[in-house]
Amino acid sequence: MAELTDAGLVKLARKGNQDAFAELVELYKDKVFHLAYRMLNNRHESEDIVQETFLRVYKNWDKYDENQKFSTWMYRIATNLCIDRLRKRKPNFSLDAELNDQDGTADGYSLIPGDNRTPESEFLISETQQIIHQAIAGLPAKYKTIMILRYLQELSLQEIGDILDMPVTTVKTRVHRGREFLRKRLEHKLF
Amino acid sequence: MECKQAASLMHDYLDNELPEEQALDLKSHLDKCVSCRTRLKELEQTDMLMFAAVKHSLPSAPDDVLNRIMSSLPKKRRQQAWLGWVKRHPALTAAAMFLLVMLFSTLSIWKSDDQLVVKGPDLDKVRIEGHTVIVPEGTEIAGDLTVENGNTEVYGEVKGNLTVIDGSLYQASTAKIAGDAKTIDQALDWIWYRITNTFTEVAYR
Ligand SMILES: [Zn+2]
Repeated sequence: MAELTDAGLVKLARKGNQDAFAELVELYKDKVFHLAYRMLNNRHESEDIVQETFLRVYKNWDKYDENQKFSTWMYRIATNLCIDRLRKRKPNFSLDAELNDQDGTADGYSLIPGDNRTPESEFLISETQQIIHQAIAGLPAKYKTIMILRYLQELSLQEIGDILDMPVTTVKTRVHRGREFLRKRLEHKLF
Repeated sequence: MECKQAASLMHDYLDNELPEEQALDLKSHLDKCVSCRTRLKELEQTDMLMFAAVKHSLPSAPDDVLNRIMSSLPKKRRQQAWLGWVKRHPALTAAAMFLLVMLFSTLSIWKSDDQLVVKGPDLDKVRIEGHTVIVPEGTEIAGDLTVENGNTEVYGEVKGNLTVIDGSLYQASTAKIAGDAKTIDQALDWIWYRITNTFTEVAYR
């Protein structure tokens, strides 16, 4: 089964083949987990997101368009679930929050595995990484999701646009601004 | 070229989206502008550090997540179970045919009234707004919930099956439905639903 492409696995899984579905989960569970973890900074909630994402994939096969990449569709489900959670935490949360809306200030601290912080996990994170993680956490909401998708999953601008349902020109502008934001955050610390 | 335009081209370059011609323009600007050279170097370093660091030190999904997902998948459809049951009990197929005929009368009145009907335990916990039935966050419905002729929004927990007949179903991310969540909007589905339900009832009597 390992040689099957995504498309092949998806075809089988849609027909109800449980092994193929399990294989898809294996292939993508860590990626979804990482995406959720970066967005929510909470291990427990990220596990929930992984579970919920695949459950929705399973229940909504009839809504999946085979011309679309499976990963795009899946990330879209996962991203929406994460945004849902963020909204619940902060009812006024908006993907389009303005740049001066310092969404990340609180997150900056919780970003090192917040809920189960142990001396060991803190020890494993170097100072450089902390600076980088804080820079990401400090990104305004408007740019955060896009930059996480960009750096974590190495997706093209077009794919990010498809996932977030945004025109590619908007994604492009936000990647550029997000990158500038991060550069300024790292400027005097790492360069 | 002005530095501002150069900056925009730098980003295109980092996105692998800079056409060759413009790349040459950018290069000639960089050759004479120190501050833009520094900026490009910093931007490149930002990308490099991000790609490397974002993945590093992330915990991976717990090992049992696959099992949890696989065991949480909804069970195979009940109508298939019903078909299997008919195959194992061929003598009763005639009875099933009789039921089918009987159910056509149900079908004819189906859609004739569009009154909202909600069936289930704990109905005092359910909120009804117009034609929308809401299971609010933090509430638990102890068993099966059936909504006919209305939209359903679930934010809380349903401990049994959820069936929405001729209406839409919205499940928030907080929603937990222990059994099958099903929407039925077609006459045919409706017949299946009545048959399987009748049989389940008969079988347990
Ligand atoms: Zn310049």
